[in-house]
Amino acid sequence: MGASVDKSRNSAYQPAQPTTELASRSAAGRQLIGLLTHEDLDRARDRWRVARARWTGRGWKSLGGLRVLWLLMGPGVLVFLGENDAPSMLSYSADGARYGIGFFLPFVILTFVMGFIVQEMTVRLGAVTHRGHAELIFDRFGKFWGMFSTFDLMLGNFLTLVAEFIGIRAGLSFFGIRPGIAVGGALVLVLAVITTGRYWTWERITLGLAIFNGLFIPAALLAHPDWPAVGHALATWTPLPLGDRLQIALLILSTIGATVTPWMLFFQQSAVVDKGMQPRDISAGRLDTLLGTVLAAVFGIAAILATVPLFHHGINAADFEYAQFAQALVPWIGHVGAALFALGMFEAGIVAAIAISTSSAYAFGEVFGTAHSLNRPLREAWPFYVILVGSACAAAVLVLVPHAPLEFIALTVNVIAVLAMPPALFFLLLLVNDRDLMGEHANTLWQNFAGVAVTILLVCAGLAFGIATVYPRILGG
Amino acid sequence: MGGDQFKKRVRDERSELHADAAASARPDLRDPHVVLSLLEADQVVAAKQQTRFGRRPLSFGVRLAMWTLRIYVIVMFVIVVISVLRALHGGG
Repeated sequence: MGASVDKSRNSAYQPAQPTTELASRSAAGRQLIGLLTHEDLDRARDRWRVARARWTGRGWKSLGGLRVLWLLMGPGVLVFLGENDAPSMLSYSADGARYGIGFFLPFVILTFVMGFIVQEMTVRLGAVTHRGHAELIFDRFGKFWGMFSTFDLMLGNFLTLVAEFIGIRAGLSFFGIRPGIAVGGALVLVLAVITTGRYWTWERITLGLAIFNGLFIPAALLAHPDWPAVGHALATWTPLPLGDRLQIALLILSTIGATVTPWMLFFQQSAVVDKGMQPRDISAGRLDTLLGTVLAAVFGIAAILATVPLFHHGINAADFEYAQFAQALVPWIGHVGAALFALGMFEAGIVAAIAISTSSAYAFGEVFGTAHSLNRPLREAWPFYVILVGSACAAAVLVLVPHAPLEFIALTVNVIAVLAMPPALFFLLLLVNDRDLMGEHANTLWQNFAGVAVTILLVCAGLAFGIATVYPRILGG
Repeated sequence: MGGDQFKKRVRDERSELHADAAASARPDLRDPHVVLSLLEADQVVAAKQQTRFGRRPLSFGVRLAMWTLRIYVIVMFVIVVISVLRALHGGG
């Protein structure tokens, strides 16, 4: 599995060769003895726990298998619950409030299927190559395309981070908490989580926070959903949304952007690498990703169902922002239900802020070749932590600046994510089909079919949005 | 699961289980040999710093697709800005 090398660019480096051989048994093992870092030690500790669980558990059909899954889960659940972020929950809320139970329920499930297809590829890439997504793009396609890709990511990440802090501010405003305190408190939480200096601890704390995305479930139950109508919508994809076609195209695009975005590719692959996953862990990584997909889909549908009463009572939610949904829901799901909804918005924002700022820091480190691991202490990886904290701080400050274009950002963030996705997916498909990198773990025919179908669907959705914007009358809008 | 896949999984697990550290109830991670017995050769930070995957050759078709998608993104970003400006100014 030797990777082909352009020696003119990488003359200072040896050609990398993915291998499953343990370092202690490799030819280069002896040379590495004096070069081990804190990151290697922490990663080895995590690997020992997994190996030990396999040793004592004897395979997947026992409780030991569950222990292995518990140890290896994280990146998949985090990426999907992280993507159930404030703008995404806003999109789902708008789906429910403006169009009720109908087309958007099965459509949301379709977007999560698309999300799973895409994210599963990043698990394989990370586990086999032990390199982050940005690093692989730079290595395999060169600086020119690497910079484009990183620019898309950084722009999207920053806008999304701002939208997360808008969600945090709005969610807590329901409880009368002032914007400065809400945003400052959220920043302190982001800082507190990364001070652990350990990937494992960071992951478990963030997972603990992410599970509160489930607050949308009791909020939905308090809305007393019409279950036969839910079943009918899931089976028939009807009733279809009616009205302004441009608004519908925007909402469809925004709903896709609630599930399939570039930062997810970069984040999950980097997290898989930081966690130290190996090719033998790919099955567990798939289960982790599937679990995240299912949880996020259920919570997203719950957000739609929670806001359906606004549709039934003719409340105009066209211009609603984050906290306005919670306030408008008080008469229909009670103060407790609305409070759960607002807390869910806050949680969605805080978990995504942690994940997205980490994604930016990983990409920065991969591109500039600086240390990029949550297993590194601050003194060894200060640029990584500066980017992580700095991006979160900049977004938080912007949210507090009077007259900042927050509405513009909130409206566009998911749409921009979808529009930036096709090139990112194309790079992903090229990488995961690269047999020099992936060997036997390269995409199969069916995985390629699914990946190309997702890419074409995203391009078509983008083009439909573009046509509806430039020529509204073509779509009858 | 196919026979080959099953054999591969068994081989992988055996490889991991045979590592001395994996069999130990409390490995001494201060010993670099123990650390190296738990990590794959291309997983060690120093090994990654010394190596790079080189550039892959790009066919005309791949280059064309990359440029097409890049232009698509730029055009779409412009359309997004137009759309949002219209929405913000109530121009529908």
